[in-house]
Amino acid sequence: MPDTAAEARRRLIRRVVLDTSIAAAVVIFMGVVRGFYSNELMLFNFVVFLALAQGLNIIYGFTGYLPFGYVGFYGAGAYGFSLVVMHLHVPALLGMAAAAGAALVLAVILLPLLRLSGAYFAIASMAAAQAVYEVVANPDLEDITKGPYGVSLSDVFAPAFSYYVALAILAFALLLVVWLRNSRFGMSLQAIRDDSVSAAMAGVSVVRGRTIAWLLSALVAGLVGGVFAWHISVFYPDTAFDLSVSIFATVFLLFGGATTLSGPLLGVFILYGIYNVIGIAVPQYFQFTYGALIVLLVLFLPNGLVSLLTRRGIRVP
Amino acid sequence: MLIGAIIAGIVFGLYYTLVGLGLNLVFGVMRIVNLAHGDFLMLGGIAAWWLFSSFGLHPLWSAVLVIVVFVLAGLPIYYLVVPRLLRSRDSEMLSLILFFGVSQMIEAVTTIGLGATERSLPPRLLGVGPMILFGTRLPKAWIFSAAASAIAVLLVYLYLYRTRLGTLTRAVMVSRDEALATGIDVNFVSAVAFGISIALAGVAGVFAPFILGSITPNMGVAINITAFAVIVVGTLGNPLGTLLGGIIYGVSLMLMQTYLSSWANLLPNLLLIAVLLVRPEGLLGRTVRRA
Amino acid sequence: MRSTLLALGLLGAVAAGSAEAQPAAPSEIKIGALYASSGAYASISMPVFDAFKLWVDAVNADGGAEVKAFGKKIPIKLIAYDDQSSTATAATLYNQLITQDHVDLLIADSGSVLTSVAVPIAKEHKQFLFDVSGTGAAFFTDDNPYIALMADPVSTIWPHYISDFLADEGAKAGIKTVAILYSTNDFTGTQAAALKGFFERDGKVKVIYYQGVPTTTSNYTVLINNIAALNPDAVLELGYVGNDIAFLRNLQDSGNQFRFVFSIYAGTEKDEIEKNVGVSAMTNIFSYVPASNYDYKPEVGMTQKEFHAAWDKKYPPGSGVAFGGNAIYGYMTGLVVGQTLATAKSLDQMDIHDAVFAQSFKLKTLDGTFELRKDGAQIGEVTPLGQLQAAGKDALNLVAVYPPDLANGKAIIGK
Repeated sequence: MPDTAAEARRRLIRRVVLDTSIAAAVVIFMGVVRGFYSNELMLFNFVVFLALAQGLNIIYGFTGYLPFGYVGFYGAGAYGFSLVVMHLHVPALLGMAAAAGAALVLAVILLPLLRLSGAYFAIASMAAAQAVYEVVANPDLEDITKGPYGVSLSDVFAPAFSYYVALAILAFALLLVVWLRNSRFGMSLQAIRDDSVSAAMAGVSVVRGRTIAWLLSALVAGLVGGVFAWHISVFYPDTAFDLSVSIFATVFLLFGGATTLSGPLLGVFILYGIYNVIGIAVPQYFQFTYGALIVLLVLFLPNGLVSLLTRRGIRVP
Repeated sequence: MLIGAIIAGIVFGLYYTLVGLGLNLVFGVMRIVNLAHGDFLMLGGIAAWWLFSSFGLHPLWSAVLVIVVFVLAGLPIYYLVVPRLLRSRDSEMLSLILFFGVSQMIEAVTTIGLGATERSLPPRLLGVGPMILFGTRLPKAWIFSAAASAIAVLLVYLYLYRTRLGTLTRAVMVSRDEALATGIDVNFVSAVAFGISIALAGVAGVFAPFILGSITPNMGVAINITAFAVIVVGTLGNPLGTLLGGIIYGVSLMLMQTYLSSWANLLPNLLLIAVLLVRPEGLLGRTVRRA
Repeated sequence: MRSTLLALGLLGAVAAGSAEAQPAAPSEIKIGALYASSGAYASISMPVFDAFKLWVDAVNADGGAEVKAFGKKIPIKLIAYDDQSSTATAATLYNQLITQDHVDLLIADSGSVLTSVAVPIAKEHKQFLFDVSGTGAAFFTDDNPYIALMADPVSTIWPHYISDFLADEGAKAGIKTVAILYSTNDFTGTQAAALKGFFERDGKVKVIYYQGVPTTTSNYTVLINNIAALNPDAVLELGYVGNDIAFLRNLQDSGNQFRFVFSIYAGTEKDEIEKNVGVSAMTNIFSYVPASNYDYKPEVGMTQKEFHAAWDKKYPPGSGVAFGGNAIYGYMTGLVVGQTLATAKSLDQMDIHDAVFAQSFKLKTLDGTFELRKDGAQIGEVTPLGQLQAAGKDALNLVAVYPPDLANGKAIIGK
């Protein structure tokens, strides 16, 4: 235990430096490896899931709410980007701002869901994501969203630039988590998660805390969705609102360990890596293996890989 | 068209009551979200198909067989998985993930074993041609499934309110810890509830080829969301609530198909959210649980 | 035809031999393909892939494909990945095939959704995409030469025999009104919109009901009751296999009779639908006649009957993969690939493009005549309109009834 305020400050600075270095290392690695490995789309998908897992971490790891419909913000971001680019012909970076805006608007609309708890919240968010999908994919709205016929954004197609923007978004998400891990605000969020009544009594504003975490989490997903639309440039609404995006992000997060910085990173690199390797080599039994892995994970390591260390009191970055 | 839609909706909705009944039981007793519920339904349908195409067994007999087998199978599945799950910090959320994994496994095994093509049962087994109810033409199969569903609701209600095991189950539903403290074998009660739950899913699956046209290994996912909407609108823990939930869902769906057909799929989602936000205890509830 | 090709090939080899620095012939031609073994699109993807594999195996058993660019037969190596019906996975895998495996020829997965992600990837990497059955009209633009649709016509022109028939023989039989019920997705929605346009253009038959329903719709009872209340002469239901199964069953259940009822898959995947719906519910239903039920006279490759026999030998009935239109598409794509290899100047992607387009209006296979528009859309191989007519006690015959030059029977229009 630190004896003086100075020691505590030094410890904090050491932690922040460590966490930030890890974040920087990941971003630099994903940037550099692009020069060596030419299946760039796979790398892009890695970056997407790395960022989404962290975004989910912000809401689940720090407030205990698990939005099963997290993909709703992703899709909202993708369509926010697509709509302004298609109809207003703005440059792609402005489109990214629209993506962020769309996700934030959706998050504000869905704020009342935060009144619900646990499984109700998870399912309601899934229903919300589906509802947004049904609206976007409806042929009656074909003139605006192109309905079920899919979006084609060939004008702004820029695979290299959009990849680097994705890296920037990943850096942003990682830094958010570093901040939450090491700040008073992050601690207050964890207090709310563990026991909201006591936290309230200790003077923490429960509603404000949850709302900020929710908005930040949605923002990350919206930005990722926007850069996805930019990078892939052709997609159907089913792809943008595919529930398996939420599910993968959730599984990666839980496998690694929520509330930490490195947990989701480990989860994505290991599980998504396995997914791509097995998926290419032995796809037949793939779905079964993945399902079994998830079952074993929940039964034996419910707090993720990092719990092997945190159980022993070791702080994992 | 309006009356027709409403009548069809009531009868069709009763099928979804059957679909949601098991899910209601499991969630009420264990606070576990069984995301594999739709897949157990699919297994029931596959069982009926296989029993018919290999042995010519009529689906109504298959339904009985499915009930027995699934209840018995539910017990070991419960013991294997749930007690450990309930010991963790955030069991509700983790149950979502766990049963999702189970769902993937069931889907994978079925796809590998049988391939992805649609399977069904010949319509003549439950009667061809319409049954005319209050001037509306309805498939005979709907009447059978509505009857089965009503019987199932009645049986579950009788189980919960008239049998000893059922009373114990209701005790566990109110508070698991207190029930444990009074000496109730909570695990056994829950295991039986789980078995009944998947048996109900299986029976719904037997009727699926007639109500939904065909069965595919990946049909479970879509069924789940609708099932949740149905049980939430009704009240958790109350089988009569699921009856109401199913009917409301059925009627609204048919009305949507008549007047706003391309928006029909938006309905269960909006219904779910609306009820959760406005009246979370469901339409019949006296605050059984705070959402 | 084969001997002409062989002669051309030999001539090409001689000409090539007399040119300067000749690149060494590769030891195998790498063809990349994706398939979906599970998920929503598995039932249309596996037959295509299995049929293409059948073609590859047959060619390799013969010593390999004739490759004009190197003047000899070279065996084919098929590199295939499973995308499990996920577009995100498919996108990564297409990229893998192009950037890591460096395939010489790229074959798309089945259907518009799984093909859609390949279109920009192929264009970006300048790799020609053999689009098997992705009929989305947006794929084919004048600024993208790296795509051609192989085996079924683009959705905006495919259904025109239906409206032509109704305006012609239908009108003569007194058909005046039509109801169109479609599933809202790129494949069927585009066809429905095209049909509506054709009817409005021809002015002979009036569209009195035009509704879209989600593609996951699995019960049509109320929809059918609503349509019946308007009393149309003709009803067209445009959906995927699951929709058709539910529709036909519900139609039979309802006891409603219409003079003309059309569904896409009743004919296109006749065996599949028959297993799930039964003969009586399908009698007198109109549908497309896929190449798997029609005896085109091919100039290249096997006839439909020969192919069906080869298919049954390799994939015996009951093995879980259905023979139908999609199997034909897969084999037919193989034939185009074979012709391309046999006529392309080199394996450079633009030479491949030229070789593919050179076959337009010339290539006649068991799928009909291959006709490409300038932007790569298939405008040939249009399936004739057919009807499922009773043949004996418990069997159905798919009879082509329109256009007259392709018909082998007469339509039975109800009273």
